Amino acid sequence: MNKYGFAYMMLLPAILALVIVQLIPNIQGLYISFLKLNQFTFKKFLKAPFVGLQNYYDVLINPDSIIRAGLFESIRNSVIFTVVMLLATIVFGLVLALILNQEFKGRSLARTLLLLPWVVPTYIVGLLAGFMWGYEGIINRILVDFLHILPEPIYWKSGSLALFTIIVTTLWRFFPMTMLMYLAALQGIPKDFYEAADIDGASAFQKFRYITLPTLKPVTAMMVLFGLIQHVYSFNIASMMFGNGAGYPGEWGDLVMTNLNRNSFALMQYGTGGAASVILMFFVILFVGVWLKVFKDSITIE
Amino acid sequence: MEHKTIKKIKKTASLVFLWAIIIVVLFPIVYMVLLSGADSQNIAAGREFDDLTHFGRNYVEMQTNINFFGYFKNSVVIVGISTLISLTLATCAGYALARYKFPGSNLFGLTMLGTQLIPPTMTLIPMYLIFIAIQNYLGIQFVDSYKGMIIPYVAIFTPASIWIIRGFFATIPVELEEAARIDGCSKFQAFYKIILPLSLPGILATGISTFLAGWDELMIASVLTTTATYQTIPVGIRLFIGNMQNRYDLTMAASVVTTLPVLIIFFMLQKHFIQGMTAGAVKG
Repeated sequence: MNKYGFAYMMLLPAILALVIVQLIPNIQGLYISFLKLNQFTFKKFLKAPFVGLQNYYDVLINPDSIIRAGLFESIRNSVIFTVVMLLATIVFGLVLALILNQEFKGRSLARTLLLLPWVVPTYIVGLLAGFMWGYEGIINRILVDFLHILPEPIYWKSGSLALFTIIVTTLWRFFPMTMLMYLAALQGIPKDFYEAADIDGASAFQKFRYITLPTLKPVTAMMVLFGLIQHVYSFNIASMMFGNGAGYPGEWGDLVMTNLNRNSFALMQYGTGGAASVILMFFVILFVGVWLKVFKDSITIE
Repeated sequence: MEHKTIKKIKKTASLVFLWAIIIVVLFPIVYMVLLSGADSQNIAAGREFDDLTHFGRNYVEMQTNINFFGYFKNSVVIVGISTLISLTLATCAGYALARYKFPGSNLFGLTMLGTQLIPPTMTLIPMYLIFIAIQNYLGIQFVDSYKGMIIPYVAIFTPASIWIIRGFFATIPVELEEAARIDGCSKFQAFYKIILPLSLPGILATGISTFLAGWDELMIASVLTTTATYQTIPVGIRLFIGNMQNRYDLTMAASVVTTLPVLIIFFMLQKHFIQGMTAGAVKG
């Protein structure tokens, strides 16, 4: 045994398991994106007819392919969803973290209460939100009868408002994490920094701009990366909010993952579903590359 | 003096804003709990708050209606076993990565991170087809079985766990093992007797985050199971509505029961919970 023998021995179980359950399926996933695999051929699996780039053509160019049903609308929705969610979780999380960073009575209670949405499983959030945003749902009744903000109920779940409801619901579920990360970062800033700035006569804004913000940059970098992956691949909430994951949720109620899942499994378009997954992965890797460039100075791989 | 007053007003305003937000944030959770005690006909008529005395009835009927605890048990078994397997694999591998700079160790670590970028469908489509092929050629049932759910869960949870646990091991000083080795421990004994107990909090945090991610998993569960014998909560809970019935009261009772374990973990192990969730934030 050489000096790494022990390390390799400890790694072996994980490597074996991951080769079988991760590497092989993913290589096959790549391979089936070149196969004609649908409801007629799926029993042949890897022996299904090889069609080269046909699936990619069907996803990207061919206007008549089944897989394209609602695909571009879902991509548009996911782009809006991801961008808005990244901005909203960061702004909302930061504002709440700044407030929670003050000394006040009931501070730890407030923090605990704000973390509670995080505890609710996302599919339950989706079920509950789907009910609450309904035409006769509680949100309409509060806005119309109780607060008198709206003259009459709104169909929240149809038209472009559907995407709005997905965003608000997902924000409710995920802001606690950004809030908590920012709060931890804020509490890590030594008090002397601010005292020194006070002596130099810095304004509140200057202190925020030159002390607080730079310290928060690494956390923000992590939040953007986590959020990017989480929101592009977001599935549970949208899927449960609209028809319990069955049927077409309408043009604005569909995200990339709900669309891919439906087109791949319900429509049994496994080959084209594989191709669409590969394309999606390519874009996510591209986004992560952009992220690496933007936040290059504030991250250390550790 | 005036400066101080402005500061005070600002602080008060921010606190008013904070508590207003807290009320809005808590409302859906309170609403969920209240609905679980409402009458289904009142709910359908938009009068759900009229009679909130049916808690006992709803929590019993949730079980008689669709055998909810069958799904609950499946979730516990599948997610529990997956978490144990993936945690064991990740603890050994994470230790090796944290302590040894062998050829390819950086690449291996980065690959673990890279798996987080793979779309769930990319792994799930071939896995589903492999399972069907195995069943056709070898007669072993994977779709609709515990093993058919545990395998994909181990696949998606192990890489992130390896990366997180590696981070926890890296914070423990190497000198501890060196001292143990001088005292005559083997490499494995040093790991098992000295380092493992010290890193238990980190491993526990990772385990919690893995378990909760599994508890929250819907897509794989909805593709790889088709009968109630093996379905988990996210699939089963949908039967209260749409399945020739519209029982939001029962849905919410089941939702409360499903959220409760997470809430209990949260209050009992708040520190580990937060550590695990923030460390395991990739791919929720």
